[in-house]
Amino acid sequence: MPDHLFVGKSVPRTIEADKVTGKAVYIDDLKRPGMLYGKILYSNHAHARIKSIDISKAKQLEGVRTVLTGQDIPDVRVGFLKDQTVLKKDVVRQYRDEVAAVAAISPEIAEEAISLIKVEYEKLPAVFDPFEAMKQESPLVHEIDARGRPLKSNILPLPWKFETGDMEQAREDSVYTSKDTVSTTWVNQCCMGTSGCIAEFDQNSNLTLYDQTNVIFGHIGRITEYFSQIGLRGKKIRVVNPVVGGSFGTKLDTDIYEFIAIQLALKTKKPVRILFDREEEFQALPPRQPAVFTIEQGCDKEGKLIFRHCEAILDNGAYTSWGATTPSVMMMPMSSLYRVPNVYFKATCVYTNNIYAQAMRGYGNPQATFAVETSMDTLAEEAGIDPAEFRLINRNRPGDQTPMKLKITSCGLEECIKAVKEKLNWDEKQGKQNGRGVGMASLIHVAGGARVTKSDGHGIMIKLDEYGHVDVIESGTDQGQGSPTVISQIVAEALGVRPEDVFLTFGDTALALWDAGTHASRHTFMAGNAAIGACAKAKRQILEMAVEQMPKIIKMGLKRKKRKDPEFVEPDLDFGLIANPEDLDIRDRMIFPKKEPDHPYFNLPLAQILQNGLLVGTGQSKVVMAEEFYDPPTEMLNWEMKGNLSMTYAFGASGVEVEVDEQTGEVKILNLIAAHDVGKAMNPTLLLGQIYGAAYTGVGYGLTEEIKVRNGRVMNPSFRDYQMLTAMDVVPIEVVIIEPIDEAGPYGAKGVGEPGLVPTAPAIANAVYDAVGVRITDLPITPEKILTALKEKK
Amino acid sequence: MIDCDYLRPDNLEEALGLLKEHGPRATLIAGGTDVMAKIRNTKKTPEVLVSIRGLKDLKYIDKRSGYHIGALTTHRMLEQSELVKAELSALHDGASRVGSVQVRNVATLGGNICNAAPSADTAGPLLVLDALVFMEGPEGIRSVPITEFFTGTYKTVLKKDEVLTEIKIPGEMEHFGSAYWKHSRRKAMNLPILGIAVSLKLEGEIISDVRIALTVAAPTPVRANKAEDFLKGKALSDEALNEAGKIAASTECCSLRDSLRGEAWYRGEIIEVYVPRMARLAAERIAQRRSK
Ligand SMILES: Cc1cc2nc3c(=O)[nH]c(=O)nc-3n(C[C@H](O)[C@H](O)[C@H](O)COP(=O)(O)OP(=O)(O)OC[C@H]3O[C@@H](n4cnc5c(N)ncnc54)[C@H](O)[C@@H]3O)c2cc1C
Repeated sequence: MPDHLFVGKSVPRTIEADKVTGKAVYIDDLKRPGMLYGKILYSNHAHARIKSIDISKAKQLEGVRTVLTGQDIPDVRVGFLKDQTVLKKDVVRQYRDEVAAVAAISPEIAEEAISLIKVEYEKLPAVFDPFEAMKQESPLVHEIDARGRPLKSNILPLPWKFETGDMEQAREDSVYTSKDTVSTTWVNQCCMGTSGCIAEFDQNSNLTLYDQTNVIFGHIGRITEYFSQIGLRGKKIRVVNPVVGGSFGTKLDTDIYEFIAIQLALKTKKPVRILFDREEEFQALPPRQPAVFTIEQGCDKEGKLIFRHCEAILDNGAYTSWGATTPSVMMMPMSSLYRVPNVYFKATCVYTNNIYAQAMRGYGNPQATFAVETSMDTLAEEAGIDPAEFRLINRNRPGDQTPMKLKITSCGLEECIKAVKEKLNWDEKQGKQNGRGVGMASLIHVAGGARVTKSDGHGIMIKLDEYGHVDVIESGTDQGQGSPTVISQIVAEALGVRPEDVFLTFGDTALALWDAGTHASRHTFMAGNAAIGACAKAKRQILEMAVEQMPKIIKMGLKRKKRKDPEFVEPDLDFGLIANPEDLDIRDRMIFPKKEPDHPYFNLPLAQILQNGLLVGTGQSKVVMAEEFYDPPTEMLNWEMKGNLSMTYAFGASGVEVEVDEQTGEVKILNLIAAHDVGKAMNPTLLLGQIYGAAYTGVGYGLTEEIKVRNGRVMNPSFRDYQMLTAMDVVPIEVVIIEPIDEAGPYGAKGVGEPGLVPTAPAIANAVYDAVGVRITDLPITPEKILTALKEKK
Repeated sequence: MIDCDYLRPDNLEEALGLLKEHGPRATLIAGGTDVMAKIRNTKKTPEVLVSIRGLKDLKYIDKRSGYHIGALTTHRMLEQSELVKAELSALHDGASRVGSVQVRNVATLGGNICNAAPSADTAGPLLVLDALVFMEGPEGIRSVPITEFFTGTYKTVLKKDEVLTEIKIPGEMEHFGSAYWKHSRRKAMNLPILGIAVSLKLEGEIISDVRIALTVAAPTPVRANKAEDFLKGKALSDEALNEAGKIAASTECCSLRDSLRGEAWYRGEIIEVYVPRMARLAAERIAQRRSK
């Protein structure tokens, strides 16, 4: 390994100074000339027919520029399964259904106008439980599908089924088996910046969408399709990020409010901003997908897993967004966390009149891992094997190919499990059930991209000015994950400059090449590899320039010296040392011959070469710019749901020690160990930040967070009532970094954005069991549930 | 957007004058942490806000023939007061758990009591410390015991033209130990699922006097009189304390409800568990003070 100047170092995050001093321009701060403020009227019912909408009063309010209902805009279906329209005009199917929208000269007037709209509804029977919704006699959430064909059931036509091996034989061969039903609920992504966008058309009806999103290019396809149906075929769409206030999965889809902003802007011919308030963020933003799993596993008498069989029911809510695709990721832990030869997994998504779901950090993995890791513990107990040992027996190993055809390259799972054991003092503490307990859980996640669309590419362009400043035009987004720092470290390392010389531009589809999205823990891996490629090309150009310019500069220098000092004896220099680009290198802003890095004459500043290359006099001036579009050789899942969709996979294990108050059911986390195989820690401080943040979110997922939906309505749409943990609730955490240096990663790195969250909740559940002997299989693990279970046990 | 007149008198007299002048159109505002939240949540702005933040001499914690606390004393001041911590421990427990440091820096004790939420974190402590509430209005000064101050959920005996000026805690409370438990899921920025305050006096091992108060257990903060009566004169034992907890959790002392924040049965469990725990803590605090 060559020693790195910047990669692997805790380079500070200087770009964030603007954020902490209030200079950064978020969507909340962004104003366009003549901008209007949009506001949405939502449904009052979970399921109802709209009898009439009276907008007359709202229209008359001074300052209102337009009021739209479903009657005023084209009746075009949008969304993942095209199962909704932008404004609902006949039937509402959930409380967050958008019924009307207003644009006005101030947010207050818009809000008042909304309150003046009168809607008459006729209630329809509703269904809120997915199991009820599957029954024949249940009311239908949708009467017809996107193509107008009648529907007979609330079950969605999605093919989430994975099968491998011989289940019947496997069941017979198993000596021990276990069966559990586990469930998880809705949780909100809780971005500090709420959802928002500004839609602005030019006179030729081309759209610029300023948008709080992490998938800038994703909008273009969906809006293009929408445009083609509303008479704007062929119009140009540009998506621009303001400073993005968090994502955590929220913005994978084009949300309805974005289409509404577009319609309001079209109608008023003014830029229109829609910005959610916090209540809206809780009520009208699709949260993490809830699911119920029935999972069975079997093993032989040595504890080797023989089969895993799991059926999942997903409450889809009234419409379909990316939440319904989370089973594609659930399949990964289901089929590939630990070695298991026979696997069956089926997920059924069911329409209900509840809110619908989207992506959130982990994308189905936290739910599925909660199921798998609960089952791992119950089966270990059945087999009489220590749960940590049981996991080690079945661990994934480097070089494995899993039943889903994932190719495991580097894999530090063994080290992670062992680190958790050691740090928790596992052997001494496990199995006591004396009010204190330890528990663990592992994870697998994509860490080298995720081919969920036909391109998993990421483009980067870089250019250098004549002072040695490097502009990097990223096709990804910066939602606070630290990419401006990490990517500048990579560019500095690969190009031979310093991180402070590198300036990144994120989030503008008009400038950048293309990117599948800053999601799936893929950004450092993808952008890092693209950056390395682009830097290699730029470096080649610089060195070619150096071959031309260096001898000239050096000879001139010698002449000058001679003129000043007639005594000076010109040295006999071997210009052969710098005759070819291959012989030169750049490091820390200096260009020098590889063979003699400390050569007293052949050491010139990069900026000098760039200046001389540009300011040549006549006809041949040059600039340095290069681009790289990196699309890894991975596979889409085939019809059997198999394929190597990522270049590499992240592994990790979480361990917790808890104390349970048996009188109140309260859980106190005494210690949390997060051991992660990260390939290479590019910036240790940033890496810790990612893991701390993810692990704490996992603690909230495990213990407190829950959107309480009662009869379709969100009952706790505020941070007062939604129990996201605060800075005062942090628990002691120790992170163990395992660095197996992955061949495919930039400088060996794997993605780490999501993994920290995934195993935390099941580790807590397993620790609670170890402490007091009750197993909570429904998240969050509240004191009420523990106390109830303890009473039942007695 | 908030559109109203904002008046800022410099002294109590002026404040009383303004309240009289504007009558029902006016709302008094101290730290504003309840008033502003209410404006936002109800989307209704009072026509006139009379801010008493300029009344600097209503900000004090004194001990002279009893404890005197000015209405504008912030929770942060109570939290940082060694006197309150040592001698009015329950109030210290309560004030230190209001919202967050940022909230405690502006939110006042007077506001907490006048807002009269069933969950107010200083209500239970003041109930077990026998607080007297002083109010001043056009007719002069009057006082009521805190047990009579709350008349309903968000309702008090305070008249529209009166200002709460002082909370007084009798000097004999010096001989009591006290403690308050805020049962909540998070350590900050949370309203209690339930609050339990206990104060007691010991003669040897005998509980010679005791007060127990519960919040979020009834429409107003309440004293658990029956549980107190049961404990009085008994030795400090697990048995007696557990029984007192059971009585406190029964319908004789409270009317527990299911709400989003917690279910009635669970609230009952917490009362049963924390009445004894807080009584123990109060007793420990007496011992600690003696040993100093
Ligand atoms: C984020 C947040 C967290 C919170 N957390 C908690 C918590 O954990 N526990 C808790 O108990 N409370 C909590 N609160 C509520 C609030 O902070 C407290 O009730 C606080 O003590 C109110 O004091 P204030 O000075 O801000 O009152 P204000 O909002 O100014 O006033 C409250 C009410 O009292 C009246 N009033 C105020 N002072 C006087 C006076 N001297 N004379 C007559 N009337 C008066 C006002 O007219 C108003 O009706 C929280 C509030 C927020 C915003």
